[in-house]
Amino acid sequence: MANFNIDAKRNRTYDAIVIGSGISGGWAAKELCEKGLKTLVLERGPIVEHVVDYPTMNLDPWDMELRGGLTPEEKKKHYKNIRSGWVGKDTEHFWADDEANPYTEKKPFLWLRGHQMGGKSLLWGKQTYRWSDIDFEANAKDGHGVDWPIRYKDIEPWYTYVEKFAGISGEALGLPQLPDSHFLPPMELNCVEKYVKERIEKNFAGRNMTIGRVAHLTKPMNGRGQCQYRNRCSRGCPFGAYFSSNAVTLPAANATGNLTIRPYSIAQEVIYDDKRGKATGVRIIDAETSEVLEYSARVIFVNASALSTAHILMKSTSNRFENGLGNDSGELGHNLMDHTYRVGAMGKVEGFEDKYYKGRRPNGIYIPRYVNIDENSKSDKFVRGFGFQGAGYRGGNAANIESFGAEFKDSILKPGPWEFFLTGFAECLPYHENKITLNRDVLDKWGQPTLTIDAEFKENEKALNKQIQEDAVEMLTKAGLKDVMGFDKEHPPGYGVHEMGTARMGRDPKTSVLNKFNQIHAVKNVFVTDGACMTSSSCVNPSLTYMALTARAADYAVSELKKFNI
Amino acid sequence: MDRRKALKKAGLIAGATITMPSMFSLLQSCKNESRLDWKPLFFTDIEAKTVALLIDMILPKTDTPGGLDVKADIFIDKVIAKSYDEEEQKKMRSDITEFNAGCKDKKGDIFIDLKESDRIEILKEAEASSGKYNPGVWGTHVGEQEPIGFYRSLKSMAIWAYFTSEEVGKNVLSYDPIPGVFEPCKPLSEVGNRWSL
Repeated sequence: MANFNIDAKRNRTYDAIVIGSGISGGWAAKELCEKGLKTLVLERGPIVEHVVDYPTMNLDPWDMELRGGLTPEEKKKHYKNIRSGWVGKDTEHFWADDEANPYTEKKPFLWLRGHQMGGKSLLWGKQTYRWSDIDFEANAKDGHGVDWPIRYKDIEPWYTYVEKFAGISGEALGLPQLPDSHFLPPMELNCVEKYVKERIEKNFAGRNMTIGRVAHLTKPMNGRGQCQYRNRCSRGCPFGAYFSSNAVTLPAANATGNLTIRPYSIAQEVIYDDKRGKATGVRIIDAETSEVLEYSARVIFVNASALSTAHILMKSTSNRFENGLGNDSGELGHNLMDHTYRVGAMGKVEGFEDKYYKGRRPNGIYIPRYVNIDENSKSDKFVRGFGFQGAGYRGGNAANIESFGAEFKDSILKPGPWEFFLTGFAECLPYHENKITLNRDVLDKWGQPTLTIDAEFKENEKALNKQIQEDAVEMLTKAGLKDVMGFDKEHPPGYGVHEMGTARMGRDPKTSVLNKFNQIHAVKNVFVTDGACMTSSSCVNPSLTYMALTARAADYAVSELKKFNI
Repeated sequence: MDRRKALKKAGLIAGATITMPSMFSLLQSCKNESRLDWKPLFFTDIEAKTVALLIDMILPKTDTPGGLDVKADIFIDKVIAKSYDEEEQKKMRSDITEFNAGCKDKKGDIFIDLKESDRIEILKEAEASSGKYNPGVWGTHVGEQEPIGFYRSLKSMAIWAYFTSEEVGKNVLSYDPIPGVFEPCKPLSEVGNRWSL
């Protein structure tokens, strides 16, 4: 890839500024650049150039001094991140520094951040699902939160548009609650997954098991290679096989010649001109020099991630917006949502001891939502629903085997027993009181106010989790698994890493921050298209919807610019 | 009160410290005079020998390398020295001391000075009595996890050290850093040993 233009010294004025370079920021940059706008991307961390800056991508365990283990200093630096179970030496450099960037948990909340070019698009799970009208109509139907200002038909062409460029593999099922994407060939289920699938589908009408729909290429596309089944995605993929800003959208933006990306640029506020009634630019702190600088543009996309985007808007005060930019409704920072996480069941599968697989598939199975999708599936215990991810694999824990010595050692060289797990993701309702607030007592490394997070799962989410566990145990038991064990880690929000809702879209400026094109109701040249914009949380992974909303909003922004409406 | 109980009690009172005279004399009683041929970063001489002997009994050399052949003891010492915080290090130290106190209590001497049949009995008893790891989902254990004693946690570390050593990872287990394809249902006989990665 050509080097990025990181020289933002000469030029302080652009057509567009994008704050953040993660999944949605990368799409905003690509779309705006391709439509001819000179675009500045402000990234708070370092440049991570595709392949070049993936230092661990090819390391085997023995290539690392502690074979993936962290030093006490590294553990301290990631003292919050580490709770996720995901942080090791192979990815440590892509997780934010918790000490330099503190936050306060009024109630337990895990806020996982990636402070580098590409953000969490380097680290994400790549599960990509379209939302359906069951999701977009949910708030209107059961009265929780406010109505989405869009429906499936509004976003459907944009799903197709982003899928064709991102590359989504999966199996078409024709289900109304989980519309099919424009698919590359699906990855395959292994023999135990097929066995469990058959038995679940036979025993439970209306339940389907399919391979996860993922942003991994299963055939080469646009100069990117297909998945090599290494399952080392989070270190950065040298083949560019999975979707990240670094491998996909930012190189496309760069190819236009219209992109400037400024690393180490922590956005402090969006500057609002009271006289002109619009935003004029962004004030940043240089993370390395602590210098404060201003950049101006005609249109600004805020894509810093759900919490950071709301954080920046809350700090963007003016005579017109004393409580944060665009916060006429008082909803900015509220309605924080995430999916529930690590609740389900697992068990052992017998009869496949002579079967194995080759390749480390970075994907598992998916069971689409089957409750509350129609009158027949209506629950009287909760509203909304859940879906399952899971996988079958040869696992076991050799240390548990009650044996030692020569025979033991030789036996553990063979793969362990087949295991299979299901883990549910439940939809979280938008509660006004689940919120973030500015904390002026705890300052970050640059002396800036931080966030206090005050959010929790409530009765509806707990009822969904109870059902998830019961259903998972029942499905695995009826499928003939042994030693079936239900589990619920009772994780607080944040563990799902699907933060949403802190600057929601809506029809009414009195109850929402953004309109149907992700425009701040009262500041038409500022757009928010990351997780902050979400009006409800669905039960499926949200990133594909961020991509589609971003492309749609960028298209609208440029047409409005051309009409001199913003 | 016997020595083991005394040690346990002292351990409780003094947290994880082990600088009491009884402990010191216990360690001094070691009859094994052989010297290590490597310099531990964390372990004392006796601790290193205890861990090495445990590893050798759990993962002995057969027609494939043993745990000591791939320096699992040296790696575990390094992990404790460089990855554990002070509390975890203290815990490891007191665990080994307690393990040896148990050996002394039951068989009359610390582990490395016991005859083989006694050591085997100690390990068999440890296998039967120590807790087991709950299964994991996506990087964390699920369910109510019972406490894992010293023996099982050391066994677990030894297996990890063994599997992730270059010799075993590349030449004993099935090694394929870039599979290129996913073959979902393959006869085990065509793969052989478990995948190392």
